[in-house]
Amino acid sequence: MTTATATAVLDAQGLTKTFDGHPVLQGLDLKVRDGEFIAVMGPSGSGKSTLLYNISGMDTMTGGNVQFAGQDLGSLSQKQLARLRLTTMGFIFQHVYLLKNLCLLDNIVLPAYLAGLAPRAELTQRAMALMERTGVADLADRDVTEASGGQLQRIGICRALINEPQILFGDEPTGALDSTAATEIMDILGELNAEGTTIMLVTHDTKVAARTSRVIYLVDGRIVGDRQHGPYTGTGLDQRHHELTEWLLHHGL
Amino acid sequence: MNLSPRARSVARHGEGGVDEPGGDQHPAVGADGQVLRRGQPAGRWRMYGRMAARDFSRNRGVTAALVVLMMLSVMLGTASAGTLVRLIGASSDLMEQADAPHVAQLHVGAFDQAEVDRWVAGRPEVVHHQTMLLLGIDGANLLFDGEPQTASIQQNSLVVPNTERDLLLDLDNRPITQVEPGGIVLPVYHQVEGDLEVGDTVRITAADGFAKDLTIAGFARDSIMNPAIASSKRLAVAPSDFEEVRARTGEVEQLVEFWLDDPATQTAGFKKAYQDAQLPQAGQMVDSNTFQILTMIGDGMVAAVVILVSMLLLVVGVLCLRFSFLTAVEQDYREIGVLKAIGVAPRDVRRIYLTKYALLAGIASGVGLLAGLAVIPLLTRNITRYMGTASGLANWIVPTLAAVLIFVVLVLFMLVLLRRFNRISAVTALRAGATSQPRATRLRLHRSRMPVHLRLGTMDVVGRWPIYLLLFFVFAVSTFIMIVPVNSATTATAPGFINYMGIGAVDVRVDLRHDDATSPEQFERAVEQLGSEPDVTAISPMVTTRHDTLDRDGIAASLYVENGDHTLLPLTYADGRAPTDSSEIALSLLALHQSGRSLGDTVPITVGGQVNALTIVGSYQDITHGGSTAKSVLPTDGEETMWYVIGVQLAGGTDATATAQTYGAQLAPARVSAIEQWRDQTLGPIADQLTIAAGVDAVVAIALAVLMTALFARMLLARDAGPIAIQRAIGADDTGLRQQYLTRILLVLVLGVTVGTVMANTLGELLFNLMFEAMFGGFEMLFQGTSQIAFAVNPLLASLLLPLALLGAVAAATVASSRSIAAASISSLTTE
Repeated sequence: MTTATATAVLDAQGLTKTFDGHPVLQGLDLKVRDGEFIAVMGPSGSGKSTLLYNISGMDTMTGGNVQFAGQDLGSLSQKQLARLRLTTMGFIFQHVYLLKNLCLLDNIVLPAYLAGLAPRAELTQRAMALMERTGVADLADRDVTEASGGQLQRIGICRALINEPQILFGDEPTGALDSTAATEIMDILGELNAEGTTIMLVTHDTKVAARTSRVIYLVDGRIVGDRQHGPYTGTGLDQRHHELTEWLLHHGL
Repeated sequence: MNLSPRARSVARHGEGGVDEPGGDQHPAVGADGQVLRRGQPAGRWRMYGRMAARDFSRNRGVTAALVVLMMLSVMLGTASAGTLVRLIGASSDLMEQADAPHVAQLHVGAFDQAEVDRWVAGRPEVVHHQTMLLLGIDGANLLFDGEPQTASIQQNSLVVPNTERDLLLDLDNRPITQVEPGGIVLPVYHQVEGDLEVGDTVRITAADGFAKDLTIAGFARDSIMNPAIASSKRLAVAPSDFEEVRARTGEVEQLVEFWLDDPATQTAGFKKAYQDAQLPQAGQMVDSNTFQILTMIGDGMVAAVVILVSMLLLVVGVLCLRFSFLTAVEQDYREIGVLKAIGVAPRDVRRIYLTKYALLAGIASGVGLLAGLAVIPLLTRNITRYMGTASGLANWIVPTLAAVLIFVVLVLFMLVLLRRFNRISAVTALRAGATSQPRATRLRLHRSRMPVHLRLGTMDVVGRWPIYLLLFFVFAVSTFIMIVPVNSATTATAPGFINYMGIGAVDVRVDLRHDDATSPEQFERAVEQLGSEPDVTAISPMVTTRHDTLDRDGIAASLYVENGDHTLLPLTYADGRAPTDSSEIALSLLALHQSGRSLGDTVPITVGGQVNALTIVGSYQDITHGGSTAKSVLPTDGEETMWYVIGVQLAGGTDATATAQTYGAQLAPARVSAIEQWRDQTLGPIADQLTIAAGVDAVVAIALAVLMTALFARMLLARDAGPIAIQRAIGADDTGLRQQYLTRILLVLVLGVTVGTVMANTLGELLFNLMFEAMFGGFEMLFQGTSQIAFAVNPLLASLLLPLALLGAVAAATVASSRSIAAASISSLTTE
């Protein structure tokens, strides 16, 4: 595991979070290695989303520390954290959360313009290329209300990728989609991971988890299971799904 | 189904809304209907009350803004109604208790009482007449606490107070029928303006070394010469002191007073008959209307400004009501659907909302009424001082009625808004969940070169302008109520204002009344002397004569015509030009309106006993002599001369005040005043009151804008919790988010201030002129164009300083309230 430690992009130790005195995360340790595709599973209220928001600096942890890309998140100001999220992390959500007063292309370019890392024309080009790649290029000028759920989630992915993040976080990105749309989204995420993007997803869905390379299972704010099952290469999904279900049952999960 | 507590509450209570034992689901049926009718409303109203209370706590900001606005509107409405009723009450009370004459004629010179008596004997409408002697004391010979009154434009006269009619009243409105020898009773005007007290000394001197000291025994309210704008003042003394002074100094003047049987219908005819009868009339003739107008101008203007502000606040309040209502409906859209789906009648749904808003309006009206009643004494301080307080139920009933009226307007408006509920269908409400989603605009972020936050702020305002409409109105209204009074005050104090007083650009004005046969001589002498003074660059001598004319209804009327060379030191004509010979005439705007003619027409004027048709070649604004005057070049020999005026232009650098004082001493009995001083003393008190009103308004306007901005920003932040959390999640920082909010509000502010400024300078100017029209011509003159005063705007103040003050205050309020942006985080999205 020594080499793995050297390439950890994210390292959380003793992560604690309480809401009104009620512990949600209880001294949790987690290392995310470069290029991993992680599914975070667990029953409702087990702290999955809270974990996601705390290790990404979006929420303020109660205790412990998180190292991300060599920086201690706890020592950064809100402004620095915002900049870090903007330039090194991408987020996709179950309900996508697009700004309704912007057209779809504008929603994608917004984080890029905020970061301002390249000329705007170039950033717009990059956004168009991402839309092309995710198959929604013809929706650029549409309103949020003029696209389907699956299309919107692709827009969400484009927005998350626009600043070329080191890690992509997803909070149930397929949770609100039908199975066809969900499969398409997972295909895109799989491709991205294959190209080297580190991805961490919160999910309830074992079929989604079967497409990742690692599954961690949370109960009451603690990791009670951590399974490496290697990258999904496009074949044997049923087998992987079966094994994952077996593992969950075996651990009484 | 995820019901809100409110929906659950309704669901539990069922369609009938009854939770008492013995309640019935079918209230219309059954013999026990009597019981139901008693029990049902109690349970229902308790339920509605609970719902209303819950709604208040949910939308605290908007609710507070709404209450404050409604309260302020009721407060100012109550206060202005109270002020007006007290003003009218006190003024007519004063007139009544003092038994003011209906018509009064001032006359200087030879006077034969028997002649007047004989004429009156043939006039059945005269119920009483009397003549009072006024002993005019020159300002140089009158010292208050050692201070000579040379600079005052007030004509001070000693009188022996009347005992039966036209009484002077003390500060408790009791008649002053006699003054102890050695004492003097001064008008309230001198108490206020001269800062005098009982026990102070008034000294009257004469050229021969005579000096008489009198002690101020009290102050009096004078029903016909009370305000500053009435430039004569009566000082009451004992008969012995009057005679003593009369023997040494002063000029006697007669005040012939008439009481008519029915003044409302007889005054005009009586005045004309008196003038035609060639009775003593070397002086002004005034009637009770004039007294009332003069008495009420200043305070009436303040009340008018307060009414204006109150109306504007009511408009903003109604807009805020609409806004708050739409927000509530949006939040409750799904609940309304639920209520309808479980079968609650639309009427009952409406009742829930009506309860909430009527309760708010009721509380606001109650508090506003009390606050308004508390403010009335402040606004009526001046009235109380000059006129006393008229007791009476009306003082309380009218303000209360004003509050009730505003309350009724608010409730009616709510009922109109609530009609919307009929249009909400249960199914669409349940399915849609919200009424108005922000729409995308045609504006595109990716096509803009503006900074991102600036662009996002702009796009939001453009995309959701109905939401910002309220704020826009608040800013426009604030600007309007801030600038109009300021512009009015600067206009009334601007040097150019004399242009509207029927005179040209002169530095010094010489006034001489036509008293007797020696007057023309005195006039000639003054003209001659002024013409040879080295400091004087130009003079324009004018002789005013009275002529008969016909008004628009063909009825004979009198017209004062000022004759002379009007091309010297010309005034500014509203239309046309100065008359150049005896076939031409220029009329004041009011006189032109009264004549019923327009420029280029002819008007019949009796000159030398013959009716001449004079061509109207020009019109001008004049607010002196009741606003109805004329200018021509008629021969004045043999005509009935009223007064003389000499306009004097001084060489640059000459001190007008000092020069006026020098000439005044040399040209007595002519009165010489520096024009600035003359204007100051005539309009000064009105301008002062306007300035105070302007100051108060500016504070109110800024407070209103700040309050509304703070509440609006809070509301906006609460409403935008979602989009804020999204932006924060993708990496926008607080500084940027704040920039967006500043951009939105400042953009609306700039638009509002611009529109408000334009409105102030157009609509505001119109209002200002309407005020003058009503003041000089009565309400029937409104919108007749008899006043065309252009605002003299102080651009630095009106276009820069005031808007900047508003801008600064609003920006500070926005920044302060946008601090709560930090509270909105992604958790507000995920906990949904």
